[in-house]
Amino acid sequence: MKKKTPQNCGKCGLCLNVCPVYKVLKEEPASPRAKLQLIKAYENDTLSSSPLLKEIMSKCLMCGSCTTNCPSGIDHYSTFMEMRRKMVEDQGETPAIKSLTYLLAREYRLKFGAGLARTGQKFVPDLFARNYKLGNIPLKNFPTLNATPFRKAHDVIIHPDKKPVGKVVYFTGCATNYLYDDTGVATIGILKHMGYEILIPRDQTCCAIPLLFHGAADRASKNITTNINALKGHDVDAIIVDCSTCGEALTNEYPRFIEQQGQNPSEANAIAEKVMNILSFIDQQFDRLEFDPNITEKLSVTYHAPCHTKNNFNAHIIVERLIERLPFVDYKRAVDADECCGGGGTFFYEYPEVSKKMVDKKIENAKAVNASQWLTDCPVCRMNLAGNLDTDDPLKVLHPVTLIYSALKDI
Amino acid sequence: MLDTQVKNELMTIVDTGRYLDRPEELACYAYDAFVVEALPDAVIFPETTQEVSDIVKIASRYKVPVTCRGAGTSVCGAPIPLRHGIVICFSKMDKIIDVNTRDRYIIVQPGVVNVDVQKALAPFGFFYPPDPGSMNTATIGGNMAMNAGGPRCLKYGVTIDYVLGMEVVLASGDIIRFGSKNIKDVTGYKLSSLFCGSEGTLGIITEAILKVRPLPETVKTLMVTFDDLDNTAKAVTDIIGSGIIPVAMELMDKLTLNTIEDVANLGLDREAQGSLLIEIDGVKEACEREMTLIIEKVKENGAIHVQEAKSEVERERLWTARRSAYGVFAKLAPDIVSEDVTVPVSKVPAMIRKIIEITEKYGLKVGVLAHAGDGNMHPMIPANKADKEEWQRVERAFDEIFQAAAALDGTLSGEHGIGLAKSDYLPLVMNKQTIDFMKKIKQAVDPDGILNPGKFV
Repeated sequence: MKKKTPQNCGKCGLCLNVCPVYKVLKEEPASPRAKLQLIKAYENDTLSSSPLLKEIMSKCLMCGSCTTNCPSGIDHYSTFMEMRRKMVEDQGETPAIKSLTYLLAREYRLKFGAGLARTGQKFVPDLFARNYKLGNIPLKNFPTLNATPFRKAHDVIIHPDKKPVGKVVYFTGCATNYLYDDTGVATIGILKHMGYEILIPRDQTCCAIPLLFHGAADRASKNITTNINALKGHDVDAIIVDCSTCGEALTNEYPRFIEQQGQNPSEANAIAEKVMNILSFIDQQFDRLEFDPNITEKLSVTYHAPCHTKNNFNAHIIVERLIERLPFVDYKRAVDADECCGGGGTFFYEYPEVSKKMVDKKIENAKAVNASQWLTDCPVCRMNLAGNLDTDDPLKVLHPVTLIYSALKDI
Repeated sequence: MLDTQVKNELMTIVDTGRYLDRPEELACYAYDAFVVEALPDAVIFPETTQEVSDIVKIASRYKVPVTCRGAGTSVCGAPIPLRHGIVICFSKMDKIIDVNTRDRYIIVQPGVVNVDVQKALAPFGFFYPPDPGSMNTATIGGNMAMNAGGPRCLKYGVTIDYVLGMEVVLASGDIIRFGSKNIKDVTGYKLSSLFCGSEGTLGIITEAILKVRPLPETVKTLMVTFDDLDNTAKAVTDIIGSGIIPVAMELMDKLTLNTIEDVANLGLDREAQGSLLIEIDGVKEACEREMTLIIEKVKENGAIHVQEAKSEVERERLWTARRSAYGVFAKLAPDIVSEDVTVPVSKVPAMIRKIIEITEKYGLKVGVLAHAGDGNMHPMIPANKADKEEWQRVERAFDEIFQAAAALDGTLSGEHGIGLAKSDYLPLVMNKQTIDFMKKIKQAVDPDGILNPGKFV
């Protein structure tokens, strides 16, 4: 059934210059304005579904910048998500994306897939890895998978060494669990240092955003229910996320999705209210941090603001402020610190030619400030930025928590 | 669809990536910010003047209409390909060719976005004054074709005042160049005045030499509110009448303020009947004296609240509010019509009274917004085009607004252009002989009428 989009777009075009894809392609179909026009035409039956229509809808980073900046208050983000679902329904999905959503839809598949991939990574001949690319990223630059999934390597309840000041739930996301356990180790390290008891529910799974972006609503539904069951009912101060996209899902998409399914969103709302980005959490309680007094030299650091930090939590300002407050850091802002890197979930894989232009510009501007650490709080951004730097590049990409954790005083 | 022969010839000029003609793609070039839409048969993205010339030669040979487009932010339908044919989109012809602040000019291709010109000049302490509301998206080519204005044109003048030289492709495909890098240049006809504002009906702008100015030493911004809209307008007349020329003087009525505040939450005064956003710039001491005088004048007219922006952030917030006006009004109804009738500044209070009287008569909602210092009104009427009865009332209201402006020695358009929106109203402000003269010019340079057909000439 075609549902009408009740929003009024005045076609003013102010979304064009905030759309990272339009800015690279300079073609109207890439713009949020055009996508709304096409959706309207599709809903009015003046334009029928086609592979090209699906492609135009997919050629979008789902960064949310149009939604944030639209003077008419149009929710492009949800409108596009819904249209992408319809397009997958009408046109089907590519085998690569299909296997991704299949994998992310069940935790055991993910675990199995990660195990296989890890074995695979060991066996990929060096020559092959050097010469081949996945999307815009050379194969050799992909992160190696965690030796043991993060959640398996850690207890369900972690106690601080001192008398607890409070209790939090930690939603780790797939990236920390399978790819970047350093982010997870640092997050629990900091939370412990601050005096929090940490609960890592075992049965949590992928936040479902990749599924929703690729129209796999049925599969997403199962993940959302699983996560709500894992996160609900805990008497805690906050539900901590280390990835803004997971945070956005838990805060905005879960309540909306549950409501759309005609169910009671009260559990999802209760969770949404408690969700907090780890960096905002640290910023609020900065005084709880004690830094190693032996660190005397300042580290030069720059930052890349992930779109979902910027557009959903509006937290990039908080993150930058937090980085500037770190006593051992000399923060050097790149001119385009809050511009999109072109990662965008699977965008770097689907549209490498567009993505590459964005990331190359980011790298050029980050290098111009001569920093040694490039911080970013999104695993896809990290993969994209690091993946497009040479492996021996002096500029290292990491999550801000890793840097903060490394400078804490042992207590 | 274009004839296969025409398509094949065009495809020899640009590669596949720069030629679009699938229905999903064409649908994206059927609109601008106006309410009328029409589909092109093909969209083509040139990157050089030679390519433009080659495209036009083919179009000329086969008599295919050619309509140019930058970012499609026009609010009068100027880039709508009413007679279909080819849309030449300049978004990829976007190089800044030369920045020379010693000689005070910048040379750009037409697809360069206005704000990128500002960004290129700022490090040298210079700026390019024309600042249409769409400056973050709109291209210089479009700005020139429409002779765009903007808030600060009150003090600095509009696009045409900054054009030193141009390169234009004619309907025949011939390339002509006129003007120069010189501030003073009276060699031959002032052809820039012919093409700048011709809305793509006389030729295609492929390069421009633009005059630039040093950034002012001081900028001061003031937000003033009134409990009476008429007094707000009288304050404008008084300030200009006293000899001060602010950079900008933006008037917003109660509905506009509240509609912006609903979305943007900027702390605007919801109770005020009228407000003025006033900006002055120049030497510090002069600004201070002017500011004192302005405050005197607004108080004489019953200003209830006068507030100076204390930081750049605060100033930017006020301007963001003003710039978002069109967008926030758009959400009130499926369609929005914003016109830009302009009257001599002493007639601003009378014109505003007329706008309110007329819209009330037709039972329409109206946001009164104006670059009031130069008499440039922006009444915005949100309505539903699908509602035939309501739309008729909208059309009648605008008929009367145009007539009222003409009766007050005003004109149809201060900065948006005529496009599709106002072509029927030309006789209100021009006699037949004048319209015929414009037609003769058009006939002389574009005998087959292939350039942006269906528009005002």
